[in-house]
Amino acid sequence: MAPKKVLLKVIILGDSGVGKTSLMNRYVNQKFSNQYKATIGADFLTKEIQVDERLVTMQIWDTAGQERFQSLGVAFYRGADSCVLVFDVNVAKTFENLDSWREEFLLQAGPRDPEAFPFVVLGNKVDLDARIVSQKRALSWCQSKNNIPFFETSAKDNINIEQAFEVIARNALAQERVEDIYLPDTVDLSDQKDKQSAQNCAAC
Amino acid sequence: MALARPGRTPDRSESRAAMDDEYDVIVLGTGMKDTLLSGLMSVAGKKVLHMDRNSYYGGESASLNLNQMFEKYGNGEKPPAELGSSRDYNIDLIPKFMMASGKLVRMLLYSKTTHYLEFKQIDGSFVYNKGKVHKVPVTETEALASGLMGLWEKRRFRNFLIYVQEYDAANASTHKGRDLSRLSSADLIKDFGLQQETVDFIGHAIALNHNDEYLTKPAAELVKRCQLYSLSLAQYGKSPYIYPLYGLGELPQAFSRLSAVHGGVYMLNKKVDKIEYDESGRVCGVTSEGETAKCKMVIGDPSYFLADGKVKQVGQVIRMVCIMSHPVPNTNNSDSCQIIIPQSQVGRQNDIYITCLGASNSVAPAGKYIVIVSSTVETAEPVKELSPALKLLGKPDKIFALLNNVYVPANDFAKDGCFITSSFDASSHFESSVNDVLAVYEQIMSTLPPEERKLIDLDHLPAQE
Ligand SMILES: Nc1nc2c(ncn2[C@@H]2O[C@H](COP(=O)(O)OP(=O)(O)O)[C@@H](O)[C@H]2O)c(=O)[nH]1
Ligand SMILES: [Mg+2]
Repeated sequence: MAPKKVLLKVIILGDSGVGKTSLMNRYVNQKFSNQYKATIGADFLTKEIQVDERLVTMQIWDTAGQERFQSLGVAFYRGADSCVLVFDVNVAKTFENLDSWREEFLLQAGPRDPEAFPFVVLGNKVDLDARIVSQKRALSWCQSKNNIPFFETSAKDNINIEQAFEVIARNALAQERVEDIYLPDTVDLSDQKDKQSAQNCAAC
Repeated sequence: MALARPGRTPDRSESRAAMDDEYDVIVLGTGMKDTLLSGLMSVAGKKVLHMDRNSYYGGESASLNLNQMFEKYGNGEKPPAELGSSRDYNIDLIPKFMMASGKLVRMLLYSKTTHYLEFKQIDGSFVYNKGKVHKVPVTETEALASGLMGLWEKRRFRNFLIYVQEYDAANASTHKGRDLSRLSSADLIKDFGLQQETVDFIGHAIALNHNDEYLTKPAAELVKRCQLYSLSLAQYGKSPYIYPLYGLGELPQAFSRLSAVHGGVYMLNKKVDKIEYDESGRVCGVTSEGETAKCKMVIGDPSYFLADGKVKQVGQVIRMVCIMSHPVPNTNNSDSCQIIIPQSQVGRQNDIYITCLGASNSVAPAGKYIVIVSSTVETAEPVKELSPALKLLGKPDKIFALLNNVYVPANDFAKDGCFITSSFDASSHFESSVNDVLAVYEQIMSTLPPEERKLIDLDHLPAQE
């Protein structure tokens, strides 16, 4: 039997400037640039990975900079299968804000089982020498929130990023909802019939 | 949306830095039209700052949850428990559907915002005739079985439809000797010997005109509208309409994201205190909370220009939002549908529209329906005007009445640099809204140096990659 294909929507949250866009670019495009301006947004990137028997397409959504002035709309959060919370280990405030990012996610996305929802926390920019938030402090927060997995990362030096995203995919897969809700049959707009092929006029 | 944001305090210094900057464009309000313009400007490489006084996207065209609905229109009432969870509701403040082959779909494809949205087709389209609700036939079998017209009339109607279907402006042999740029709609219809009721059916249920002004106008437009209807119907089959999951409020969010992805800066919950003008009366900035962001032009919805006298009121639209525990009677239990009540059927000048949506559109909890009745206001008692429609609904669980003023710009954009979108009209779909966006877009382009102008030709979209 061919392995089942799965699409996971992963969103990356955290204060502006912590390296969300950089992490996503490093993971998907194997690139890092010091010049990313925190003000410029990105869209979403997709990456296919193999997790055990399964082919998984990760669709990773950037905030597009709309987090900067608390202006993310509810649409951004809809249908997320996993949420990556990022802080900068060199800036205390970005760690302290994780609580409200997590709350905001739960409020807006409204997952059916908030306690079991698969979050992952990334403490980014560990390559810098100005560390303020200790591993211990970060781990203890993660433990207090139902043992959220924690990784120390650097988008710049490519530290721990593959590992983190594999856990993100695994945990999201493990949570895969048995869809008991009515799944609507949506239409594909890019498949427009033109006038010629649509000649079966309605009431003619 | 409009959820109180959790504790994270916005960084004042960052906001000051963003306000202390100079932008090509500042956009005020995140309605569907304004966000689309914002997206187009950002994509064109313009530096955009986008503000909204509300803490949610969508402005006048937002979709609200139940708590927000009661907060805004509930006269102090609290949402009763039996209506279910607030977050399961996405109630459109402006009820409209999208024509499956209409300009909004083209715009979504053009701007590649379809990635952010999912659509479903609307299950059925109905029309009110002599006190009864009839399905607008979509197949030949349905047309033959329909009680809407007699046998002979059906033949004449069919002849008309064949003419419309074959008509091609560029091919004179399909015109059959008629010049539709001169011939009025009324005269074209007369040529086919159709009865008054069929005329109403064509003009209102197919061409989707919301009053009778079209009759005296050139028939070319009527034919175009009929063609749009049948092409849209041919896309997915049940009705010519599609609708985004989670409500129309998804559209402005998708366009905003487009703008943000291209560098647009977003500030919700941002009080707009004053639009600043230089000595010559040209816009030069926008002031909020003591800080002024500089700009070369402003785009916005009319509500931001009321104080400056740059808009004028041209009418009112009444919209009654009903939450129901049953679908609209006599619609074959459709989960989603539209009923058109042509003006002549109820002695009015403007049609009344009923839209019904439910859980399958992700706008209400299971078993609940959002039914919105709307029309252009004609008298001093707007709610009473809608009573012929309300009678068709059975008993709703809750009714909200929303009375909206309709504003249009009354300024000289070439002089003041303010590009103002019009309020949403009472029409049942987005064709006129996109026309408004395109018109404002063209106004903006006309003020730019020629090398910066980029025109959008929705009728000749480049092939998709
Ligand atoms: N030294 C270092 N800088 C980083 C790292 N990740 C991101 N940055 C820089 O931090 C700034 C903000 O990054 P960005 O990805 O735009 O953050 P975002 O606002 O969270 O998306 C940029 O200048 C990045 O180059 C990292 O791991 N190490
Ligand atoms: Mg970013």
